[in-house]
This record gives sequence, structure tokens and C-alpha cells, in this order.
Amino acid sequence: MHHPEAARRRRRAAVLGAPPDSAGPPARPGAHAGTVLDASPHLLVLAVPGGEVRLPLSDTTAIWHGDRAGPDVLRPGRRAVARPYRGRPGTERVWIDAARVTGTITAATRRSVDVDLGPHRGTTTVTIPETVYDRIRVRHPRLEPGYLFDTVCVRTPDGPRAVAPGTSQPGYRADALTAPEPDASVPGESHGTATWFDGGDAPGAAYPAVDPEGRAGGCADAPRGCVPLPLLSIGSGLTVHNACTGRTARIPVTECGCVAARFCDRCVQCGTSPRGRLVELTPVAFAALGGDLETGCFNAVLRHDRGTRRW
Amino acid sequence: MVTAFQNTQVLLLSFVLLAACLAKLAVRHPAPAHDHVHGVPLPGWLPQATRLDSRPFAVAVALVEGGLGIALLVTSQFSVRLVTALAFAVATWTVSELRVRRPDAGCGCFGGLSAKQVDRRTVARALLFTLAAVAALGAPRAGFAWLHDAHATVGLALLAVEVALFSLISPEVATLWEKRAAWRIRREDEPCDRRHSPLAETMRTLRASAAWSAHEDTVVSAVPLDVWREGCWRFLAYRAVSDGRPAELIFAVSTAARGRRVRVAMVPAEEPALR
Repeated sequence: MHHPEAARRRRRAAVLGAPPDSAGPPARPGAHAGTVLDASPHLLVLAVPGGEVRLPLSDTTAIWHGDRAGPDVLRPGRRAVARPYRGRPGTERVWIDAARVTGTITAATRRSVDVDLGPHRGTTTVTIPETVYDRIRVRHPRLEPGYLFDTVCVRTPDGPRAVAPGTSQPGYRADALTAPEPDASVPGESHGTATWFDGGDAPGAAYPAVDPEGRAGGCADAPRGCVPLPLLSIGSGLTVHNACTGRTARIPVTECGCVAARFCDRCVQCGTSPRGRLVELTPVAFAALGGDLETGCFNAVLRHDRGTRRW
Repeated sequence: MVTAFQNTQVLLLSFVLLAACLAKLAVRHPAPAHDHVHGVPLPGWLPQATRLDSRPFAVAVALVEGGLGIALLVTSQFSVRLVTALAFAVATWTVSELRVRRPDAGCGCFGGLSAKQVDRRTVARALLFTLAAVAALGAPRAGFAWLHDAHATVGLALLAVEVALFSLISPEVATLWEKRAAWRIRREDEPCDRRHSPLAETMRTLRASAAWSAHEDTVVSAVPLDVWREGCWRFLAYRAVSDGRPAELIFAVSTAARGRRVRVAMVPAEEPALR
């Protein structure tokens, strides 16, 4: 598999010098994501990128499959994200078949919503069970084409099934976003919200301000977002800090976050964050930073690399 | 003299209508957040359908204004004059209502240039335009025909005075100057890490730099291996040869608006991984 980030890091260091925070490899992820190979009440075996991991389970391990669940949902073939305890053995949380649908509504009925997930994620149809419909409507008062939609779902053979709203729906239409002033400068740290997306099992991030020129990897029609962020590329490193848990990680940009750029929402996991999505993380990166997939977001701080902001 | 005055009003109205048309098309009126009532969002179709400042509505009004402005120039039809007078009468009623009911909103008469709140001057201006349109009802000549008339000099002088007077009571003139200054500042002061820098600009800067001239002979392929950006720098990696050995030539080109710098480094080519 081709990894442009390693070559770009080497080439950038040659011409500008190594950034102060890129010394050494990224920190070992504090979570695992993969496919369930085998499970018992005391052990979970996952096929993860590069091998398999064996995770001990106990009575204190919280298992999620649309809601709190028992070990019976740990069936081979299902997708799992697991977070070990910090500083002691054992597994703290396991999420089974968690999915996220974030995008623009293209059609909606009382039972299902068709969502455009963005230019490189396609479209999907979310089923909304009667039991969660009211919950979704409270946070999404406009289930109408053209408005934004964000729900935490559980995977089923028939497609994603909504279990909870992922955010409070912004009141504006998806194409009516107000961008920051063009001359707004980027602070050393950006404060806002971090969410997660179905981006595979490896740590990675969809970043809202990926340059569309050359091979940087950005979308040509991406909005500028509501947070002033520096333009970066696929493979650039991001230093993401979870303000609720205190955990920090260096995560590579793996995708253009043009969907995240449309959301000018807040996270209220620990206090109220400023408006704007700074980053969408893959489930394993989100969980490793202490985020709980079912809550959808955490208050985040994005630390910018000063090395690329001087010229 | 009365006829000259009437003909001049036709030119004035045509000028104003065409200016309003161009301003509406070129400078968007910022949409106020009036799709919530006491914090509760209205159903999606209601604010969209009733927004007089929505973009489609503004474009439609601009096209009608442009059509009327051109019609006043090319024809002396009474119906055109009558529609113009009615349009200005409706505009006067609208801005006077806005002044009472939406004291926080601009009228959008000249698109985004009319973002300041409606005051008495705006209502007075609309009323004066309506009076001018009523005076123009009996004008015998079309706008262009009057311009070619031998007596048009007096009319043009009167037109210049009227335009100057209306400019004095129009807040849009000050807004236009402010926007012009802001656009200039933004173009020059947009931070380099957020500034959209086209690849063609980067290539022009690179090709004109001393770093490129000094290393151009070592480049073996004009197509870069990779082009990417990080903040204030766009990087370009080229295949090169150094002392007979394969190498990579890395350029970092600033994305700033002015005084763009270019840095260069030569590194040995990375050995392809064995499989």
C-alpha cells in the first residue's frame, strides 16, 4: 500500500526542517478497530490492520450495539471498535457495528431518510425506527431535502439503522453556510468539535480544509467551513486534543472533510465548544482519544504546526 | 424647459434602475437570520417562500429593473413609464414598511450595498424617485433619443446635479467605498496559510525564481512527482540527477499574496521497497 504521508514528511523535512512535534512515530493508538474473529465472555479476538489482537473482557466492559448489550452480540464477522482501559489491563468499551451517517438530506419519509454523504462517500438510506423517530426529530426539526443530517447508527444487513442523533441539526440549508472572513487569521490552536466517520479501521482524519490543487486531495467544490483553518493535504499530520479527557494524538489526514465543513455546530460533552467541526476522525482514532462513539463528538483542540505557517 | 426636465428624469430613472440591477447581481444582500421565531425554526418551506431577500427573488427583481432601465432608454411608450412609476411607488411603500417593521434590516435596493438599516433618507429617496417617475410620464423622448438631441447638454448638466444630490443621501456610496477598501485589504492581507493559491501562480513563481534557475539543469522530468500543500507552503518534488545518481529536487513555494519566496533542497532518491 502506498503511503504518501511518509514520503511527504521526508521531503518537507528536507526543505523546511522537521517540525518540532513530528519527532518520532505517532503515539500507539489507544484503541483497536477490526472484524470479530472469535469471542467468549472473557476474550475478544479482532482481525485488525496488520494482524490480530486478543482483548480481555470482564464484567466491567461496556458493550454497545445500538444500546447497552451483552457478550452475545460479539459475533464473528461483525465490525468492532474496542478501547482498553488507560493505565491498567482490561477492555473498557466495545462498540459493535457502529456507523455514522452525516450529510445532506436528499429525500425523507417518516421511516427513512436518503442522505448525500459528500462527493467521495456516495449516498445511503437510513432507516428510522418508530422508537427513535421522536428523538431524531427533536434534534433534527427539518427532515427536508437540502438540510443537514447527522445520526449515530448501527449497521444491519438492510443498511444503517438510526439509534440516536449525532448532533443538533444546524438551522441553515446545507448550501447556505456562512464562511469566515477571508482575512481571518488562524490562531495557534483552534477550538471546536471533533466527530467521527466511517473511515476504515486505521487511525485517520477527514480534515475540512484540504487544498484542492495538485495532488493535495481536496474537493474542488468544498465550502470554506466556519472555522479559519490552514490548508493542508492528504498525509499532513494533525495534533488533536480531547479537551474532555485530556488525551492528545498525532493523526494523519486521510480524507477531505468537505462534509464536516458544512457543519457549524457545537459539542457539549464538557462545556460548550465554539462552533465548527475541526476534524472528523475514524472510529479507532476517535475512541483512542477517549471519545464515545454513541455520543458523536468531543470538545476538541487542534494544534497547528507553526513550521508551515511562516514563510 | 419643462420638456427638458421631463426627459432628464427618464435618463435619471434609467441610470438608477440599471445601477440597482448591476448592484443586485454583483453584490449579494446578506440574508438576515429570520427563519427562527423566538428561537424555534420555522418549517423549511415557509421562510424560503416568503423571503423577499432570497437570492432568486433578488435576481428576478434585478432582471425586471434592468429590463425597465433599458426600455426607458429605447422607447417612449407610456406603458413603460407607467410601470416604472408604479414600481417606484411600490418600492417607496416597501421601504417605509421595512423602516417600521424591520428596523435592523437593510432594504437591499442596491443588493449587498444596501445592508445598512432603512432610515428616513432611504424612504425620502424612494419618494423622490417616484415623483421623478411621475414627472417622466409626460416626457416626449426616449432616453437614447434625448441624448442625441441638440438641447441635451442642459439635460445632462441637470442629470449630473441630480445624481450628485441622490448620491449624497444614499448610504450605498459610503458602503461601496468601504467594501472596495476591504476587498483590497483582503486580497493583500489574506493569511498565507488560508489563501487560495492556484497552482498556475505557484508554477509562475517557481519558474521565475533563482532556486529554479540554479537547479533547472538537474531536473530530468518536467512533470513533478508530487505536489501538495501545508499551510503557507506548496511543495513540488521533481526527479533529478545529482553527481550521476538519482535524486529528488524538492521546492517549497510560498502561498502568500506578495513577496513569495522559494526554497529548495536536493535529497537522494528513495530506494523502491523490496517486495
